Amino acid sequence: MFKTIWGSDKAVASVAATSKIFIRGKQKAAMTPSTQRIVNQLSALSASRKQPKLLSLCNEDLIKNRTITNAWNVYKRKLFQKRDEQFEKQYNSIKNAMEDLKQTSPELFELANAKEQKRFPLEMRIPTDFPPNQPWVYNYAPKK
Amino acid sequence: MSIARQFVRQFSSTGVVGKPGYSTVEPVHHLVNIRKAALKPKYQGLLIPKDDIRSVGFKPTEIDQDRVAEYYQNTLKSDLLLHNYEHGAQVIEGEKKRSWGTDSPYKLYRNLKKAKRVGRATRDIHPIKHDNVPQLESIYIQSYNKWALEESWLNISTRLQLSQITNVKAKQIYAKANILPWRLREGKPCGAKVEIKGIDMSQFITTLTELVLPRIRTFKGIKNTSGDSNGNITFGLDPDNLKYFPEIESFQDLFPNLNGVHITFKTTARTDEQARTLLSALGLPFYDPN
Repeated sequence: MFKTIWGSDKAVASVAATSKIFIRGKQKAAMTPSTQRIVNQLSALSASRKQPKLLSLCNEDLIKNRTITNAWNVYKRKLFQKRDEQFEKQYNSIKNAMEDLKQTSPELFELANAKEQKRFPLEMRIPTDFPPNQPWVYNYAPKK
Repeated sequence: MSIARQFVRQFSSTGVVGKPGYSTVEPVHHLVNIRKAALKPKYQGLLIPKDDIRSVGFKPTEIDQDRVAEYYQNTLKSDLLLHNYEHGAQVIEGEKKRSWGTDSPYKLYRNLKKAKRVGRATRDIHPIKHDNVPQLESIYIQSYNKWALEESWLNISTRLQLSQITNVKAKQIYAKANILPWRLREGKPCGAKVEIKGIDMSQFITTLTELVLPRIRTFKGIKNTSGDSNGNITFGLDPDNLKYFPEIESFQDLFPNLNGVHITFKTTARTDEQARTLLSALGLPFYDPN
């Protein structure tokens, strides 16, 4: 029976003309634009269909991925170690210099250790990939 | 443990003991509850750590160069170490909870007395060395929407607004108390919060300091008095200022009602002054309120 109804376009047209299209659920009025906006906002927040598909890697790819990840981790660890050592050296040299200054010139030591409210200048910017053509204004004076 | 067969049964032992295959040790099975359903092969995938690419929860982390983090590591950290150095500095002990004394047995196990002056215990302040240079931990952004108390769907836009400017899904916050004049009722949604770390935090900072704050005409900076005395600095943005975020600016008709936000910078600094120095290095201005 199903086959006969949907078999040809003619039959479909005649069915559509005679019977109403079936819609499941209660019939609702069309949404106002403001309601539609809220619904859109909610669907933007909800997690459905936002998760990408799980990658299925073959064994070879998995080993490749693991090797690269391990190498990257080793690289980072070495970098961090080097950086930490550098900061430790800096700290020790600050300490030694202060100790020296205390022995040689107590007045300068007082000045060097004076408490002050330190603020970095606003003109100091976070570096960018595409800096301006004129990178540094040598005769800069802040506006007053 | 099985007891060797005793040929002469004594009054101290029962007849069963002598029989073969009997253990005097109580069975220890099922002392630990095992949820057998969790052992299903179906759930084995959940045991894979999340940084493994086979895990369902895998999220690539290092996808981008972190400008702010690199700037901090390469330039700011050594500056801050030098600035915060104090010769011969000692650990400043925080206020701790106090004992009631030991002269009475009743005092021994009594709950500790509150800390002096502040009431709650405070942490020690260690001198700044190479391993505890102040750094930005995370940014906590929170927005309160009082209109959502009556119509809870009004909160959707607040949540989306925070998610848009931070790139992290915002959590809903709920009223904790019943306060009649404010129409607060416990459990009613009344705003959103989000905590951002890592690359999202860096992105938010650059947007804030390069695109948003310079365009706010009335913005003078963060107050020098701001801070919770634990190295966390907070300031607020009005709803009018929020539209300067590029994510909101381009879709202003989608956000007819904007909410102000409180932005808290959580730092590892132990005093507010150290935290302010750090934030000023990241491009946030400060001013003295008078």
